[in-house]
Amino acid sequence: MNAPERTAAFTLDEDNDERKITYLPSPQIPNAGTFTFNKEDHTMGNLIRHQLLRNPNVHFVGYMHPHPLIHRIDMKIQTRDGTTNPGDVLLEAIDDLTTECGQLQEKFDDAMSKFEEEEHGNTGRNM
Amino acid sequence: MPNNRFPKLHILSSSPHTLTFELSETDVSVANTLRRMLIADVPTLAIDLVSVHENTTCLLDEYLSHRLGMIPLRYYDDTANRYGDPSKEFREPRDCTCEDGCPKCWVTFTLGVQFSDKTDNPNTKTVSITSADLKSSNSNVSPASFLSEEEEENAQEEGISLVKLARGQHLYLEARARLGCSKEHAKWCPVAVATYRFIPEITLNTPALSKLTLKQREELVECCPDQILKIDDVTGQIILAEDYEDKATFTEDLHYLQESMKGSPEDDNFITVKQSESRFVFTVESTGCMHPVEITRSAMRRMEEKLIMLKGECAGINEGV
Repeated sequence: MNAPERTAAFTLDEDNDERKITYLPSPQIPNAGTFTFNKEDHTMGNLIRHQLLRNPNVHFVGYMHPHPLIHRIDMKIQTRDGTTNPGDVLLEAIDDLTTECGQLQEKFDDAMSKFEEEEHGNTGRNM
Repeated sequence: MPNNRFPKLHILSSSPHTLTFELSETDVSVANTLRRMLIADVPTLAIDLVSVHENTTCLLDEYLSHRLGMIPLRYYDDTANRYGDPSKEFREPRDCTCEDGCPKCWVTFTLGVQFSDKTDNPNTKTVSITSADLKSSNSNVSPASFLSEEEEENAQEEGISLVKLARGQHLYLEARARLGCSKEHAKWCPVAVATYRFIPEITLNTPALSKLTLKQREELVECCPDQILKIDDVTGQIILAEDYEDKATFTEDLHYLQESMKGSPEDDNFITVKQSESRFVFTVESTGCMHPVEITRSAMRRMEEKLIMLKGECAGINEGV
């Protein structure tokens, strides 16, 4: 009866003005802050964390999914020095992943057409 | 873009229900994201609203509705000439511009069967109602049942069983299907199996191996159940079987056996087996609602859409700071 809507797991609560990403700079640590990704889970969290860890300017990155029924992830990012801030490295990481994902689709289509060509070639010979 | 990767992809096999491909030169996180997208983020069609007009069968309305929801529905893509991605044609009702349902967001199925329609034989006790009795309002959308005509001819049943009717019973209902994704309910999940496995990397320490006796080497070869190792007939040395990458599964015995053969525990391993961190073999098996190639394409597209959306949001945050 008081169960939340199933769609609440992946659609933003627009009535309460929920934003996809919010940023809270750390009051104690310089060049650090927490990004909250609303309605996201390990699918994107782990991907982005791993990409950030490849960046030498990133000193620390970690994310947590507070509870299976709380649909958000909190990602803490600390950069090495003041030349880059957490927002920049995050944007760069997501940008790199977008390019990679585009590449992946291209490669999949190429591989698929190559595979089909080979299949047709083989059946042609057999017949 | 200093941290870009350039993934490679190679199709190993493709059939109407299963696709296997090798993804390489990328990271586990990408492989795992793709796997999770395949399972939970690909939009498909499934029955979501059922109005039962008359039901005198032995099953409750709710039970029947649940069974209807589980039927995989497929959308025949006229342009691609195969069972394709329904998100090209349909919209989720909450994203649709219409107020209370239109052919772009709902597909209606009607089912009206009574016992006497199904049989004239006075000795028949029960008849089955299957997914084949559902009549669709959209000629391109149908319940998934058989992959090929050959399979349909050879099969005993006509479709997916819903309920059995006894003499005098009938069932009239209207079921409405819509687009959804399996984060909402598992009935929208397009895959039966979506997994990836790591390719093994086996290194032979030849100098150490050549110090073992032939018998010990044979023991090492014997202890691998997958026959990933063999003895070279000419030299008597251990070599790798040609297709060890496909076969290797269990190498725990090899680990313990070679520990016992070492002179001291600090000695180097004779044979080391590791998992490759950049090569993954994916297996995608469809439930029948879409061609596995279309499922994979759809998952990759959703992944990109999601990343582009996050990129936009992130850029917005950065400007605000």
